[in-house]
Amino acid sequence: MIDFAIYMTTIVCIWAVLAISLNIQFGLTGLVNFGQILPFAIGAYSAGIASFHGLPIWVGVLAGLIMGPLIGFLVIFPTRRMAQDYWALASLGIAEMFRLTMLNFRGIAGGVEGTIVERLSDPRVAMAVSVLALVVSFIVAERISKAPLGRLLRVIREDETLAATLGRNPFRFQVVAMAVAWAMASAVGVLYAHITGFVDHGSFMVIETFIIWTAVIVGGPGRNLGVVVGAIIIQAMSVSTRFVAQWTDLPSDVVANLRLALVGLLLVVMIMYRPEGFLREKKPNYDVKS
Amino acid sequence: MTLRVDEVSLAFGQLQALDGLSLAAEPGRIVGLIGPNGSGKSTLLNVVSGIYAPQSGTVHVGGRRITAFQPDIVATMGVGRTFQVPRLARRLTVFQNMLVGGRGHRGENLWNLFVRIGAVRTDEHSMQERAYAIVRRLGLQDKINELAGQLSGGQQKLLSMGVLLMSDPQILLIDEPAAGVNPVLIEQQIVFLSQLRDEGRTILLIEHNMDMITGLCDDVYVLDGGRVLAYGTPDEVRRDPAVMQSYLGTHERKVAS
Ligand SMILES: Nc1ncnc2c1ncn2[C@@H]1O[C@H](COP(=O)(O)OP(=O)(O)OP(=O)(O)O)[C@@H](O)[C@H]1O
Ligand SMILES: [Mg+2]
Repeated sequence: MIDFAIYMTTIVCIWAVLAISLNIQFGLTGLVNFGQILPFAIGAYSAGIASFHGLPIWVGVLAGLIMGPLIGFLVIFPTRRMAQDYWALASLGIAEMFRLTMLNFRGIAGGVEGTIVERLSDPRVAMAVSVLALVVSFIVAERISKAPLGRLLRVIREDETLAATLGRNPFRFQVVAMAVAWAMASAVGVLYAHITGFVDHGSFMVIETFIIWTAVIVGGPGRNLGVVVGAIIIQAMSVSTRFVAQWTDLPSDVVANLRLALVGLLLVVMIMYRPEGFLREKKPNYDVKS
Repeated sequence: MTLRVDEVSLAFGQLQALDGLSLAAEPGRIVGLIGPNGSGKSTLLNVVSGIYAPQSGTVHVGGRRITAFQPDIVATMGVGRTFQVPRLARRLTVFQNMLVGGRGHRGENLWNLFVRIGAVRTDEHSMQERAYAIVRRLGLQDKINELAGQLSGGQQKLLSMGVLLMSDPQILLIDEPAAGVNPVLIEQQIVFLSQLRDEGRTILLIEHNMDMITGLCDDVYVLDGGRVLAYGTPDEVRRDPAVMQSYLGTHERKVAS
């Protein structure tokens, strides 16, 4: 039971960081990134590739932290000239291209078989590092969200042209938001690889992006605490269906589809009846006396 | 700073929105821009503020050429504007909108947020003082924590004026501040604009309300079909037969010349 609690905490923390990362992009800045799993995959594969080629662990860790935001730049620069909807599709496509490349080129990181990575053998250590990652990400995200930078990012989210006529270059600030968000996601990607001790393409399907989006929409876009709650809800749902599978002897693929249907249902219900999410974005109350 | 527009043309497909239009506005004066619907007034503001690039012609501010500069660059050069349909961050509060109006806040820099915390706090403090002084002048001080999208149309126009003032622009381009606004607020805007003129700013004012134009403007340009139909003091253009014709709608653009 305690082992299970440790495992759950670890998983929830990692997904909560992915949700916070997406929240910085979408909830705060209005960037519709349908490839949110990409920075996570980049982090994990940095660890995977380092291990596959016999490089020391720190090389993978460092590469993961750098490559996340760096590939983010490569994605955002050519594609941001496109209208917002096309950018969303481009980001989805690029994430899939990355995954398919890893799947099809054995020489990079083992192809379809994937690759072994040095594993954090003590689950409590894994949990502690995950909790730390969540705490740091949360503090950084909250600082930005409540600061003048967050205020400006919200104006860019609401109306890019307005921000431009107020003398700000919207693109410059979108890049800043993306870099912070992708650094977080790739950092937990590295962590994830070292917790599971294994990296293969199957962990980075489009569906994972959908799961992160659901956590953000359900929890409350624009509110960091909200999206953490969203991540907890989604993971709790996911785990409980696994128990249902054990008790009912349903085949695992049926249960997997059931789980997805449930997540989809939750998403639809929330969008219809509570589009601001469980925890709505806070509006600051200024008290100025002069 | 002086604003000068020379021979600016811009077509949307077949429609010649601006047709070799030239005008100038000087500091300490309010220049009116009037003309029938679709005569190109708002399009001119869009060209000056960098939202559209003209197909030909030039725009200068303070002697520097800014033709087709990006909107954010134009704004940082001291040219500010409002929009005919107010552009505000609707899901943000009045005060949040105001605070984003001011530029140069060190708290918009990621590095400063985590390293120069004191500087961020100092800037926020002075920005809030400045914003509060302006909302007081506009009579919006009781609304600072309301969502901008929930204000009345007239209050939204006032707020966009406030946001504009936060950036302390030398040239103000103002698009129909009085449309849909109650008479009390119009009166307030007239006082406000004349104060800004007396501070030596350059003001280009688009307005259909003739009381506002005659009460405020030193010179008036009358636009029609993307060109200047008449220019003079408010009284002069009012008596101009071509202007009267154009407003009565008997003027046939396509047949002319
Ligand atoms: N982005 C655009 N695309 C196509 N046509 C446009 C665009 N913007 C303006 N127009 C057209 O250009 C002409 C001039 O429009 P503009 O908005 O400048 O008129 P205006 O003088 O401001 O009129 P109003 O008094 O109604 O505000 C109109 O015929 C308008 O339909
Ligand atoms: Mg107009």
